[in-house]
Amino acid sequence: MTGLTRRGLLRGAVYGAGAAATASALSGCGSIAGSVTSADEIRYWNLFTGPDGDLMKQLTRNVEKRTEGLKVRTTVLEWGPPYYTKLAMASAGGRSPDVAIMHLTRLAGYAPGGLLDPWDMDLLAEFGLKQNDLNATLVKRSLYQGAPYAIPLDTHPFVVFFDRDVLDKAGLLDGEGRLVPFESPRHALELMDKLRRSGGKLGPVFGHSNDPAMSWRMFWSLFSQTGATFDLTGERAEIDEDTAVEVVRFMAELARDSRTMDVQTAIAAFAGGRSPMIFSGEWDMATYQSTLKDRLGGAPIPTFYDRPAGAADSHALVLPHQDNPDPERRRRTHQFVAGLVRSGLQWAAAGHIPAYTPAVSSAAYAKLRPQSEYAGAAKQLALDPPVWFAGSGSDFQTRMSQALDPAIGGSSPAKAVRTMVSQINTLLAQPNPA
Amino acid sequence: MTPRPPRTTGWLFATPFLVFFGLFLVVPLGIGLWMSFTDASLTGAGGSTFVGLDNFTEALGDGQVWQTLGNTVWFTVLSTVPLVALALVMALLVYTGMPGQWLWRLSFFASHLLPVAVVYQIWNMLYQPDRGMLNGLLDLVGIDGIGWLTDEKYAMWSLALVTLWWTVGFNFLLYLAALQAIPDHLYEAAALDGAGAWRRLWSVTLPQLRRTTGLITVLQVMASLKVFDQIYLLTRGGPDGTTRPILEYIYDTGFTNYRLGYASAISYVFFGVIIILSLAQLKIFSRRED
Repeated sequence: MTGLTRRGLLRGAVYGAGAAATASALSGCGSIAGSVTSADEIRYWNLFTGPDGDLMKQLTRNVEKRTEGLKVRTTVLEWGPPYYTKLAMASAGGRSPDVAIMHLTRLAGYAPGGLLDPWDMDLLAEFGLKQNDLNATLVKRSLYQGAPYAIPLDTHPFVVFFDRDVLDKAGLLDGEGRLVPFESPRHALELMDKLRRSGGKLGPVFGHSNDPAMSWRMFWSLFSQTGATFDLTGERAEIDEDTAVEVVRFMAELARDSRTMDVQTAIAAFAGGRSPMIFSGEWDMATYQSTLKDRLGGAPIPTFYDRPAGAADSHALVLPHQDNPDPERRRRTHQFVAGLVRSGLQWAAAGHIPAYTPAVSSAAYAKLRPQSEYAGAAKQLALDPPVWFAGSGSDFQTRMSQALDPAIGGSSPAKAVRTMVSQINTLLAQPNPA
Repeated sequence: MTPRPPRTTGWLFATPFLVFFGLFLVVPLGIGLWMSFTDASLTGAGGSTFVGLDNFTEALGDGQVWQTLGNTVWFTVLSTVPLVALALVMALLVYTGMPGQWLWRLSFFASHLLPVAVVYQIWNMLYQPDRGMLNGLLDLVGIDGIGWLTDEKYAMWSLALVTLWWTVGFNFLLYLAALQAIPDHLYEAAALDGAGAWRRLWSVTLPQLRRTTGLITVLQVMASLKVFDQIYLLTRGGPDGTTRPILEYIYDTGFTNYRLGYASAISYVFFGVIIILSLAQLKIFSRRED
């Protein structure tokens, strides 16, 4: 204990206090400095990382280059529930970015609370983006009281990927390399057995355990195909529980080789060749492409029941609310967004289906494979129910997935559905905080 | 004798601490208490209106509050018992002469230095149902693998195991220090009276460690009740909410569902539970000492 003297201790205390004071002063300054230097820049928040992130950076740069005087400062935040926490807090605190990416399904929780400002469609048209050129289902969902509160950039559906060679051998592909249609859930299960017998160690896989959304995506895809009642507009949920139980039972059968697989394990099983088929988000396409190369095939979620449907969401651009928006800045923001959305074809490289329909119907897009093979998913979109608590990254999806997980693992489907309904009723009973 | 400095000097020395203590603990506590009586929302929408005891009434009738509180208590039981018992056994083994004391001390304590993100990465890999090491080992001896984190039957036990591995080193160190503080003459006297090794353990060592055991238990119960990070990272409260601790429910309510007022109310309910538990513990341990 020779190093510690009274004087040294005192000095330490003073330094400590000084450091503490500096720290608080610094944190106070940060925001002021930020708002001064970025006066000319459009502040843009998004949640794209990995290949998506690189592509978005490039797209943003391209739009900047094409447009004189446009500068964009991008802030990339990690995707997940905290993204929406930050966005909501920024909007509420009056320091919102000029434009941000938001999942279209979250709009119902944001627009009515005054957290967003509507887009000026005339202004967007002036910069070459017309509402007619956007996917109609997405546009319909972007309206609140008739005004457009979101401009869809893409849709990112839950789809199916497969190994062409193995499926061809098992007779699951038609003459043009497309998945053969299933006549019924039973027929689908028979074909999956055939697939198991004809090679691969595993049948179709589906990574879900402890994932906050995958089980819900699967359920919502299949349930939407039945057209049965799932009405959350009243005080209590009106859900066709018998159909739901039937769907959960089928889901568990379909995914019986992946009862307890998590997303990473399922991806590894498919990309590594142990399983010839995976139910997956298209956003993992790049991972599969790197190992399967040309053998990789894709398709929208097959129709097992009465009508085509597949769970999906959409990255959309929104204007977080500002009390006194500068008209010039707003104008440039519109210009930026019009440029971004019209770059749909480049954006498609990452796997997402552009919301900009001229891009999807172009000859260049048809050459993108497997993107063009599952592009049909954009015509059968099953977005989350339009209630404030649902949508991507919501507590609702986590609760639904957690209720479903055990049933896929082999426990009672009826119990899973009961849990889901009771959780939904709990959420319905809560006031909308926005 | 030097004259006593005026009373203010002491306060002056404490000021830097008091400022931060007030700013970052007392004030937020007060704001939180106020918010629990309002319908404050994270989005700031609609201001925050005073709603009286509504939030508390809702919390007491909310099944999720009770379920997650139950999970938290269950985790506390599952983790505290081995965290105290095993730490004692480890400390005794090291103290009573395993060779290479410093190596054991280091290796028992090392995992405690890891940040939770690293702990998560390690155990998430070990627990992988398909390609994890634990199921791989089970496979070698011909036992079917289990869903460590995905099966309701095992998930909480798996989380307790992670916590045990991660934090037992701290309790171990406290015990080891306490063992080293037991005066040698007690053992000498016992040995002279003909007490064997077991006798000395039961009649000297353990009674001398009673205060430390009390301290460790109190600290451990507090730490376990506060569990959040490792569960949030490893299971997010699943499967089917069976491992969701109450702190995660508070977090989800406040930050994912934006209901700050209600989340504050649940926090204060939980705060009350902790106070009651601590008082009870204090009473138990102080009585024993008499």
